[in-house]
Amino acid sequence: MRPRLAPYAVAIGGVIAITAVIWLISSKTSVPGLSAIYLLLILWLGARWGRGPALVGSVGAFLSYDFFFVPPVNTFTVRDSANVLELIVLLAVALVTSQLAASLRRSRATAEALARESRALYEVATAALRSAEVTAALSMLCRRATELTSVSRFALVAVDSGQPSALAGGDLSPAELKQAAWSHENGRAIGIAVRDGMVSVVRKHPSDSAPAYLPLASGVAVIGIDEDQVTPDELRMLAAVVGLADLLMDRRRAALESERARGLESSDRLKTAILSSLSHELKSPIASLRTGLTALAAPQAGLKDDQRELLVDLDRQASRLDRMVGDLLALSRLEAGLQLDREAHGFSDLVANATRHLRIELASNRLVVELPDDLPPVNVDEVQAGRVVANLLENAHEWAPPGGVIEVGASPRDGMLEAWVENDGPPIATGDLDRIFDTFWTRRVRGSGLGLAICKRVVEAHGGTIRAENRRRGPRFTFTLPLAHVAAPRAQAL
Amino acid sequence: MSGRVLVVDDEVEMQRALRTGLSYHDFEVRAVGSGEEAISEAATWRPDVILLDLGLPGMDGFVTLKKLRPATRAAVIVISVMPDEKDKVRALDAGADDYLVKPFGTEELVARIRAVLRRQADVTAGEPVIRSGDLEIDIGRRTVTIQGKLVRLTPTEYELLRYLALHAGKPVTHTTLLRQVWGDYAIGDKYNTRYVVAQIRKKLGDDPANPRYIINEPGVGYRLEG
Repeated sequence: MRPRLAPYAVAIGGVIAITAVIWLISSKTSVPGLSAIYLLLILWLGARWGRGPALVGSVGAFLSYDFFFVPPVNTFTVRDSANVLELIVLLAVALVTSQLAASLRRSRATAEALARESRALYEVATAALRSAEVTAALSMLCRRATELTSVSRFALVAVDSGQPSALAGGDLSPAELKQAAWSHENGRAIGIAVRDGMVSVVRKHPSDSAPAYLPLASGVAVIGIDEDQVTPDELRMLAAVVGLADLLMDRRRAALESERARGLESSDRLKTAILSSLSHELKSPIASLRTGLTALAAPQAGLKDDQRELLVDLDRQASRLDRMVGDLLALSRLEAGLQLDREAHGFSDLVANATRHLRIELASNRLVVELPDDLPPVNVDEVQAGRVVANLLENAHEWAPPGGVIEVGASPRDGMLEAWVENDGPPIATGDLDRIFDTFWTRRVRGSGLGLAICKRVVEAHGGTIRAENRRRGPRFTFTLPLAHVAAPRAQAL
Repeated sequence: MSGRVLVVDDEVEMQRALRTGLSYHDFEVRAVGSGEEAISEAATWRPDVILLDLGLPGMDGFVTLKKLRPATRAAVIVISVMPDEKDKVRALDAGADDYLVKPFGTEELVARIRAVLRRQADVTAGEPVIRSGDLEIDIGRRTVTIQGKLVRLTPTEYELLRYLALHAGKPVTHTTLLRQVWGDYAIGDKYNTRYVVAQIRKKLGDDPANPRYIINEPGVGYRLEG
């Protein structure tokens, strides 16, 4: 209680002292307007302690001046009207001064409080953000929050894939964890609200001692808060701490996710390594088989015609097996995120490579390639995009009737090259048009179901699309590839 | 005997299949299972062609390839299950004459062996005129003709065609072409070779969708039909 009374005591003491000084001066010589000395005191009182002491000083000064210096002296009575005016002016000036000084003090106090607060926040924020260990930073935040008078408890709950766990600021009861998970899942705060950087306490019952729950982007803040002790300053600080906690929890989640992604990536690499070694292991015996079978099928081996035919059939089976292993490897590489070696290529080159590769199969078809001379080049991985054309040609060959027509065409459209391969075979059942690109889905008894799946993956890896449709003549596969941006004369040459 | 073939492959079944298959085509065949043996055999037995598997135990196939080059003048055909184009380029740049992806049929292999042997014979004979179908490249007179008709090429176009012709039948990588035609400083811009090849094809009246002379080797480079 003493600190509150002291300013008033000082005010009264000051008035007495100044009264003595004025009395001393005026006993020696006559100086007018000495009452102004009181104003100095009032100004100081107001600036130092605010309005109360300054008011007391003002009234004290008024009374003292009236009693000791205004004639008739030693009474509170005033006779002269000029003296009345002087007293009124003194009182008015004293009151205004005390008011001004008090407001000056208030704004200085506010500025100091804000500076303190922002310094504290800055310290917390830098410490939290500098800390390599996010969990340690979060614990520190919780400690700082409980240093606030009105905050009895501040805990953070992480909610990873629906499972709540206490992360910092102490343990929680199972019921509290459940409540936190609910709050996070529904994005609903319990007993507290944050709006425009301010926290406000929302209590249904004053006796309610349960903590408040505030959902954050990747967790929940559980806050024990005493409604009776909260001040605006503390609520502001609390809001800032909650904001920081939100940021740090997000950082923690991002770190967890990138760690998980690294894990997935390395498991992808492992998968690719296994598949590559597996395909090596599978291909080596097929290689021996094919070399041996074709060796014996040579006329020089001296086998009978029916025996040679059998060997040729077996070699065809071995080739099929080899293609399937190759397709499996290609697909697994695409799924593991194959690196594309993209460059400008003429689409006609891709078609030429594919038709050369399939010249034996395509000999039984009528192949019509109609590409405009000024077709712009595409920006693709030559081998992979060539595989798309080859697979579609092979598919067309499978479905076109003997001697059937296979048509290849392309034209630029919407910044992409739209190309198609069409055959005059039977239409694809409408229900199958979408499934046809699924892995292992096939219309053929002997198909691997991988060729079109590979096409889709390659085209999509290039940022294009692929679709199947039934045209009047037969099924058509249309796909898009990105155009290359190269100088015009060169582009035409490709 | 139409030539000596050294098989370098660690799979015994493959060795036997190749020995049988190639002997039917009158080749003399020996087979070893490691790079070290290959190098000593190449120096002492003097094969004409070496079939080199890249997936060898112990000394790696690429290392073997590099060490084989000073030891022998034999043509090296890389046979490998590795389907990656980067490996093909690496093998060709390391001095291989051709590559064949496993599995392959004996006919195909025999055709490749004959092609490299023919090329070797041409190079040894110092034949000044190289033919690819009706295309003739006269190295001595620096002229190119199709069915006797002169084709006008720029110096760059001629250099590129000449290099392909000198290695007719062999895939030549983009990097090698760049270095041979433009010099060491041009390495890296595959675009140059594509542009020049497109120009040559146009002058030769070759259909890029179905070329007769210069064949694309996807992901590797070009080859002049031998």
